[in-house]
Amino acid sequence: MGKLKLLIVDDVEDNRLVLRAICRKLENFEIKEAEDGLEAVELAQDWLPDIILMDVMMPKMDGYEASKIIKNLYPETVIIIVSAVTDPNMQKNMSDIGVDTYIHKPIDKELILFKLQSIGASLRLKQGQFKTLSRKNALNPFNSDIRSFRIIFDITDTESMMDFGMWLFDQCASKDVVACGRLDLIVELFYKLMRQGTKNQENLSIIVEESYEEVYITIKFENMIVLEPRMSEILNAFESEFIVQKNILCAKLKKYIEEKNSNFEAQKTTSTKEIVQEIVELKITKEIHTVASKERELLRQSFTQKTTAADYVCDIGGDILDEILDLASLDEEWREKLTTFEEMPNDENLKKFANGVLDVYAHTINSLFEFTALAYALTSLGIFLKEKAYVVVQDPAKTRTLIMLLENLGYDLVSWRKHIFELQDTQDIHYLDSSFFSSCMQIEGIMSNKEIDVDDDNDMEFF
Amino acid sequence: MAKTVIIVDDSKAVVAMAELALEEMVKSGAIEFKSYLNPLKLLDALQNESENFDLLISDINMPEMNGLDLAKAIKSNNRYKTKPIIILTTESSNEIKMAGKEIGVTGWMVKPFSDEKLVKSIKMVLGV
Repeated sequence: MGKLKLLIVDDVEDNRLVLRAICRKLENFEIKEAEDGLEAVELAQDWLPDIILMDVMMPKMDGYEASKIIKNLYPETVIIIVSAVTDPNMQKNMSDIGVDTYIHKPIDKELILFKLQSIGASLRLKQGQFKTLSRKNALNPFNSDIRSFRIIFDITDTESMMDFGMWLFDQCASKDVVACGRLDLIVELFYKLMRQGTKNQENLSIIVEESYEEVYITIKFENMIVLEPRMSEILNAFESEFIVQKNILCAKLKKYIEEKNSNFEAQKTTSTKEIVQEIVELKITKEIHTVASKERELLRQSFTQKTTAADYVCDIGGDILDEILDLASLDEEWREKLTTFEEMPNDENLKKFANGVLDVYAHTINSLFEFTALAYALTSLGIFLKEKAYVVVQDPAKTRTLIMLLENLGYDLVSWRKHIFELQDTQDIHYLDSSFFSSCMQIEGIMSNKEIDVDDDNDMEFF
Repeated sequence: MAKTVIIVDDSKAVVAMAELALEEMVKSGAIEFKSYLNPLKLLDALQNESENFDLLISDINMPEMNGLDLAKAIKSNNRYKTKPIIILTTESSNEIKMAGKEIGVTGWMVKPFSDEKLVKSIKMVLGV
């Protein structure tokens, strides 16, 4: 089987290394790299890559220009934009020139591999290489023996939600596909989930896999799925099989097959609705304890595969590690700038702290793919402090609280570095991410006297 | 007599914010507030009975020990079997809820938390 050619375009060497390390796990891919848009265009002509992973902000020629030229020359080339920015304008421009899909930073390794495998599978299908496709990486927790192609919906806006809705309706209406009983409810459930995700500006994906008898629709969130009361109601009302865990919800839908085929033919004249109701055989089990241990194992592998600090540090290499360890020099500055602010609590000194410490910290962490979320939390706290500095400094009690909290946040970062990069003793390098994120939000809440915006029904529960 | 509330969280910022939220309750003498950054230290102190609590609020993701494992270990000691434990988490997934329920924790609360919510839940659990 011929190898697929994958071109990685990014001006930052570390980023290329990380992407290459991830993509190495792909079977039958040949990988090359380009350092900027211009080089990408040249390589596209000389080497004719099948898939291009394209960064946007690059010197000489940016990813947008390069994609435009390449798509013009070779419309068949699949271009995947790798970007931390989800700017709707940029996305529109990109889709206008025919960019196929996006990968958002921070990079979700599993999702990248998943997208590349799917694209690869689709390209190979076109080349008639169906039989050689891999069956190793099923995403759904129900069944690993799936056919070797998948459908992926990147849910970013109403339009993409519609795409998925149309697909679902099409599937149910057409002859040899899913039997969706009470289709309305399934559509409502997925609609609510998609809306929740897009409202929170999450990058959602819906991934459809098929076995011979069943179709698995998995919706994958970046964060934990929060089930609104109505969603739980729908899940409870169903007799289909659903699995909800952490950041995914997967539905198992039976296909319309074999023994029922004759019925289908006979009822062809009746309405689609009646037919689909007739062939419903779905069972939902919401509670997670009903998931078999093998399925759990699979789920954990697919979504919550934890990276230990030791593995991670081993992966990133010496240069980046040095840079992170150098952050120790910022610890002192963190304290000094806070002390200056404490002694002279004016907005200028607070801004100096935000610019000179928070931003520098965020910048360094941002160069690590795995921790761009952490960097984002620091950056947004910095922006908040700069904007609100003049208000905060008018209230001495608030100023004292802020200094105390920032001091503690500094300690948290020291401890984070220690556990991940020095002791390398954590089982999961992301152990602090969400907590740190919520702390930054909470500090902003305390400083602006705002209630924290959490869903009343879902933020606490007593058994 | 003041009830002892212990919070265990590896984040100093979270501990500090909880302390701020509970300032009034401490001042009024309703509760005594203690905190641990390292769950293993708390577990040691509880096992050798140099520490005790009326309510424990525990984070989940801590480098030294997972909060649910901590709750399990504490609950396995008869001295603390019936003591209420609240799990503080950013993940309100069913899996965590079920795991917590199995261990016998009293409830869970998501971060970020508002002062009112924290105070309310403590009052509810302790009946103060």
